[in-house]
Amino acid sequence: MSEARPAGSDSPGALVAQEVLGFQRGLVRRGIIFSFTGYISEGILKALGDALRQKIRLEATDAKTVNRVFSVFVEQVQNIIRYSAERIENADDPPVELSSGMITVGSEGGRFFVICGNVIAREDAGTLNARLGELARMDSQQLRQFYKEKLREPPEEGSKGGSIGLIEIARRASEPIQYDFEHLSDTQSYFVLKAYI
Amino acid sequence: MAAMEPVYHEATDRTPEVAFDFNAGTYRLAGESYPEDAASFYGPLTQGLRQAVDERSSDSIEFTVEMVYFNSSTAKALMNIFQILEDGAEAGIQVRINWCYHEDDETMEEFGEDFSEDFAHADYRMCPTS
Repeated sequence: MSEARPAGSDSPGALVAQEVLGFQRGLVRRGIIFSFTGYISEGILKALGDALRQKIRLEATDAKTVNRVFSVFVEQVQNIIRYSAERIENADDPPVELSSGMITVGSEGGRFFVICGNVIAREDAGTLNARLGELARMDSQQLRQFYKEKLREPPEEGSKGGSIGLIEIARRASEPIQYDFEHLSDTQSYFVLKAYI
Repeated sequence: MAAMEPVYHEATDRTPEVAFDFNAGTYRLAGESYPEDAASFYGPLTQGLRQAVDERSSDSIEFTVEMVYFNSSTAKALMNIFQILEDGAEAGIQVRINWCYHEDDETMEEFGEDFSEDFAHADYRMCPTS
């Protein structure tokens, strides 16, 4: 038998633990319940969604809040899956479809928030910016009306059904949703959306 | 004309229970809906309903929706289903839609009210449950 590998204080493990613990504590300080970065699939959406519901059911006082947070989470993750410009696709059966992005859920001052970030085509940033600006200026009745109108319209070209998703997010949020863009290159921008529930 | 085979899907974590009996004219969707691909889940159901309405597989239709949560792509699919039902009612089929929701669920109540606005010929009922 070969000798067991030595494990102890002389291994680099201690330093790594310190770093990871520091990183985790930093997230906790910011109220983050969980944060996922990388390639995201529908299977990951399902698994994170289940964990999220269980966690906020313990924290939230009412079913309404749980449902609202869950709904915002689903729409944001499906937006990443459908619209992230960083994606891998192939024609295997079943097809592999992975999109890269970040999704974070946390709580702050008694309210939950959901943040998503992903790379988009720079040419789409202007349209998205205008669309979100329009939503930010609407009150809840206007958002409800706008959702109804969009539901009756045929889908926009290039859309996979996500334009109503943004209105759904705005409707479930307790204040106008925050959004921002960071230009990465001539062809790409980084898009961030944050909703408080 | 050949009778249409009924469609039954058990509920999954992400898709509702589906019970469409085209010849009896009874239809039910119940549970949660945020499928990976709403178009591929609802497409065949919508087509079946369209065919049943066009061929008048039944003289009356009772369509019951008992959803607790659905995402925005599902809302779009429900809209398509309701348009077919209203068309059928306009063409003379006796159509009744039951929108069932928990009485405390404002979100489902609002959706139910908003969908109701599209019906002029079908009998659309809000059915709060406790």
